Amino acid sequence: MTSVRQAAPALVTVAVLAGAAVAALGLGTPLVAPHALPALIFEGSAGQGAPVSVESVVVWELRLPRLVTALLGGAAVGAAGLLLQEALRNRLAAPELIGVSSGAALAVAVCVVWALPVPLALHPVAGLAGAAAGGALCLAAARLGRSPAAVLLIGAAVSAALQASLLAVLSVADRLQYDLLFRYLVGSLTGVMWDQVGYVAPWIAVAVPLVALCVPALGLLRLGDEAAAALGGRAARARLGVLAVSALLVGCVAGPCGPLAWVGFLAPLLARRLRPHGEARAWLPWSAALGAAVTVVADLAARTALDPVETPLGAWTALAGVPVAALVLARRTA
Amino acid sequence: MSPARAVLRWAGVVTGLLAVAAAHLLARGGADPATAAEALLGDRSGLDHRIVAELGAPRLVTALLTGAALGVAGLVLQTALRNPLAAPEFTGVNPGAVLGILAGLQSGLVPADSAGGALAAALAGGAAGGLVTWVIAGRSDAGGLVVAGLLGGALLAGFTTLLLAYQPSRFGNALRWLIGSVEGRVWEHLAHGWWWVCGWTLLAWAGAAALGVLSGGDEHAASLGLNPRVARALLLGAAIALSAGAASLAGAVSFVGLVVPHAARWASGGDPRRGVPLAALLGAGAVTLADAVAQVATRLLADGGAAHRLGVPTGVVTALAGAAVLVTVARRSRHLPG
Repeated sequence: MTSVRQAAPALVTVAVLAGAAVAALGLGTPLVAPHALPALIFEGSAGQGAPVSVESVVVWELRLPRLVTALLGGAAVGAAGLLLQEALRNRLAAPELIGVSSGAALAVAVCVVWALPVPLALHPVAGLAGAAAGGALCLAAARLGRSPAAVLLIGAAVSAALQASLLAVLSVADRLQYDLLFRYLVGSLTGVMWDQVGYVAPWIAVAVPLVALCVPALGLLRLGDEAAAALGGRAARARLGVLAVSALLVGCVAGPCGPLAWVGFLAPLLARRLRPHGEARAWLPWSAALGAAVTVVADLAARTALDPVETPLGAWTALAGVPVAALVLARRTA
Repeated sequence: MSPARAVLRWAGVVTGLLAVAAAHLLARGGADPATAAEALLGDRSGLDHRIVAELGAPRLVTALLTGAALGVAGLVLQTALRNPLAAPEFTGVNPGAVLGILAGLQSGLVPADSAGGALAAALAGGAAGGLVTWVIAGRSDAGGLVVAGLLGGALLAGFTTLLLAYQPSRFGNALRWLIGSVEGRVWEHLAHGWWWVCGWTLLAWAGAAALGVLSGGDEHAASLGLNPRVARALLLGAAIALSAGAASLAGAVSFVGLVVPHAARWASGGDPRRGVPLAALLGAGAVTLADAVAQVATRLLADGGAAHRLGVPTGVVTALAGAAVLVTVARRSRHLPG
């Protein structure tokens, strides 16, 4: 009985992920049946030269890279959200609420809009620098030990200032490019191809072992600063390391997808609900998996809900994330 | 405070406002002080005169009205809710007003350049935004209200983004509303805004006594014969009306409604009867100064060769300055939760 109950969330998550992935590959114009997908992907990946059908081009060149980016980006932001929340011991410390996302988006947007001579492959570095700067600004202003609401307020102020700068950068561009606006304001996967996947994937690969290294630190931080110090741990240093890793995760995703608003908030929250008695170590993989699931589902909505118009993914996650956040607040105060 | 010092202080505030206004007119460049003065006195002979009279002056008036409305709205919100962090942008009112305007434009209910239509749409949206925040907040404390306001604002921004994405071609100047700008406002845009903002500011001033009683607590108000619920509802209505008026003039100019009331309360010693006019004057001065800085920055950028459509928006200047002030104040303040 207990094993069934423990396995159920895993099965549901896998089922949701698989279903959303098949839908993401199949839905749209042209509509592709699930059983035809493997053949089309194989046909598309077989490469140049051979005459290929329209379906296989669409699936291989457009939908698959988008799906892969959504999975990678969602997992990265979901994990980053959990790391931030645990490191600051603040359930409201989502990347978009403490300046990390806006900083990353601003840095990348400056590179793109002003056509700075930064190679595409180094955009994740710019994003990382922006994320670290935004987060550091916020935390320095808020000081670490203060209450969630105070950190949140200062985070909102810093984020608002960063977003205002972002809008200013976009408004002095030659021509207002709405897709750029949406991507960097809330997050969008419009027009992602294999190139962008290639730029992001190595950074995620670097980040995975670093995230694994964070796990013991999370256990330490959970004790609280005094207890950690009493046990000989260096809480401040551990916290800094965890924050740096989460900035890396958010920063490398910001280039192709923007901030992916609210994914870093929703995923850890769902993970905690699924494993109410767990701890950070157990939540981390869940948070990554759920982040990927949320992103894929939201991107599906973004692509198909107002067909043929594409909407930004981040708008849908905001519409889902805010009511959930409100419910969490209501439960906590009740 | 002795009467003489009070008079001096008011004179100082008014002089400062006039100086800022003069700086604003000259910040655009192209007109020397003599030309600007002649133009304001009705001389329309030269091109420079006409630029001042038909572009510079309405822009200045827009900035003054927007600032005054935001300052008073913020003061009324903070005092009526007894929450030092309540402000149009943190209670969902401002994001709602922007959403209302864009929705009105999208649905075709509001013609693109109609001042009255924008005002009505902003009013409907602002009221809806405030309602959303109120529903999310439920019965929470001061910090909880801010969190609820941020969440409500994020929800409304999500809708705004969807709306923009649905038909981006209809929103040539959506950025104006998103970030707040007084660029390119002419007298026609002010047709309804001026009496709306002036009228509600005077009404808020008339209600300042009630505001002072409310700030002492609900029991205190009830014992003095003032129904706290009715009074608060009326005052919040006035705050929403003022925020919507500001949004219909200049879009979402942030942080003025949060920071200015603190300065006004500090300078007025906490008495709303002095605080309301002070907040109006200080708010007007703040937005005008921000716009003067924005104009200078636009000129510098244009000289530097950077192409610009809208110039540096006023909202950017207020957001950067306001965030800096807020962070400084929040670090020092002991009133903040935590």
